[in-house]
Amino acid sequence: MTTKFILGMRDAFFDVLYEIFKKDKSAVLISADNGAPSLDKFWTDLPDQSFTVGIAEQQLIGMACGMAFEGRKVYTYAIAPFVTLRCYEQVKLDMCAMNLPIVNIGIGAGYAYDIMGPTHHTTEDISIMRALPNLVIHSPADATAAAALARIAHETASPQYIRFDRTGIPDVYAGRNVRFEDGVIVTKQGRDLYIVATGVMVHEALKAAKNLEALGINAGVLDLCRLKPINEELLLSHLQDVGRAVTLEEHRLPGGMGSAIAEIFVDGGLHTPLLRIGQGDRFIYDLGGRETIWELYGLDAASVTDKIVRWMGNK
Amino acid sequence: MTTIYPGLAASKTEAERQELFDRLQEKANWVRRLVLEVAVKAHSGHISTAFSQAELLVALYQGGILRYDPKNPRWPERDRFILSKGQGGIGLYPILADAGFFPVSEFDNFAGKGSMLGVHAEWSIPGIEVLSGSLGHGLPIATGIAQVGVTDKKDWLVYCFLGDGELYEGSNWEAAFFAGHKGLKNLICIVDRNGAATIGYTDRIEGPNDGPRLEPLDKKFEAFGFEVRVINGHSFEEIFRALADVRRRTVEKPLAIIAKTRKGKGVSLMEDQRLWHYRVPEGKDLESARRDLGIVNADAPAEKTLVQTY
Repeated sequence: MTTKFILGMRDAFFDVLYEIFKKDKSAVLISADNGAPSLDKFWTDLPDQSFTVGIAEQQLIGMACGMAFEGRKVYTYAIAPFVTLRCYEQVKLDMCAMNLPIVNIGIGAGYAYDIMGPTHHTTEDISIMRALPNLVIHSPADATAAAALARIAHETASPQYIRFDRTGIPDVYAGRNVRFEDGVIVTKQGRDLYIVATGVMVHEALKAAKNLEALGINAGVLDLCRLKPINEELLLSHLQDVGRAVTLEEHRLPGGMGSAIAEIFVDGGLHTPLLRIGQGDRFIYDLGGRETIWELYGLDAASVTDKIVRWMGNK
Repeated sequence: MTTIYPGLAASKTEAERQELFDRLQEKANWVRRLVLEVAVKAHSGHISTAFSQAELLVALYQGGILRYDPKNPRWPERDRFILSKGQGGIGLYPILADAGFFPVSEFDNFAGKGSMLGVHAEWSIPGIEVLSGSLGHGLPIATGIAQVGVTDKKDWLVYCFLGDGELYEGSNWEAAFFAGHKGLKNLICIVDRNGAATIGYTDRIEGPNDGPRLEPLDKKFEAFGFEVRVINGHSFEEIFRALADVRRRTVEKPLAIIAKTRKGKGVSLMEDQRLWHYRVPEGKDLESARRDLGIVNADAPAEKTLVQTY
């Protein structure tokens, strides 16, 4: 049963990164006691480029800063809640304020660590990370995007954060000619509205769009794979062709992706009706798995479809 | 390229050594006088912490210990000096200016509009390596720099200058795990062990803000895999003895020098006194401080200064 689908996006990323590391000897990886099937070859083949600091995220980022300061291109690796919040001040001061080429790789965005509870859920990272100057944030929706991001991240000199899903999710871009460096991807063309989503929610958005199609609503899907800086011009060029916009994120609503887009609307004087779908102001203790959480809190395709239909009826 | 690396005083004759120590002591006193007047003028600055570290930093920069080039602050072969206790910036700037990194006239506009020099050390200042001011950041950064030095087989050293109060920050010990585990012998930590944090003493129980206890600090560093040397941080004799062999140490361990100092050293009313962490003297206090430091022609009139506490 081991397929590309199961292997997942972080492994697609690390496989490309491994090839980059073999050529670029200035590239180093520091892990905070986190592994991946595709990481083992870094430790065995590239000992001068691979380090571990133990479960110590402040040291992870501080040490990355020191190495970047000496000309290294540094990749740090930990699970998403810990490489963001646990070392937030190090990211702010050591990475962003000194504008160093460090890429923080966070695994397990949103509810990827579903049954592990609030300690492992990562549903505020977009809000807090996008507050930091200089930081570039990516959020791939599949393994093809993740593989492309390995090259984009290597070529980008800014401090960066990449929020990866943990589980294998279907490939939507395999075989397609997609410009991931644009930051906004038309995953599905739309006429009546666009659902803007990121990461795993791109897939729920596609399902919701299909549901809406059956109801006579032509909904498209935009994948906001770069959350900061948002390619406003490209995003708005797509949105201006439709009458409505919906945002969908597996993240709390305050300050998240939907907020970022609402800010663009307000600042730009846009009056396009906007519906933000995401998690409310709460911690989640519910067990039963990721899809259970989605169903309970209205993030699955069926709930999203219902919300959009009701919203359109009300307007 | 000018390399200021005259060699260590320990190798000189007794008379030459004393002459050097006297000269360095006069520098340290000059640093204290300048810091006081700059802080008084700006109504801001951490005076007492700049006083506890004065001899240590003067020895490093003017005693031929650190390798640097003021005309080329990012000279690749320089020793890296990380001022982790960023509040000590005001006490490092005079030394950098004296060494030629920037003109002493920069102090005329300290913390003013368009000024280069602020309260905390900024990485844009020639001679300052990294941004500091929030505590517990320096040592993790220093380990990253030191590791690159080891990987690339460089002979430069990494100095990390820490306050003892900042050792409460857990990030230091995360870094100490790594440094000890890797045996980073190019890493030298110097702890300004003045025994006081912001409003509390580190190892006393008199006040509600005192503690938690840091001692036994030497044993803590040793347990993390450091070689430890405990010295009097106001004695040039002991500072030079502790640093004499830093370039030829054979033990595969990072070095921690615990330098016992007194906060506010040189001004009797401030010395080891609570509340002087971020306080600028005024009135009679200022007159007394100036008298202790031998300041006769101060620019700033005493009555115009402002009292600030932490």
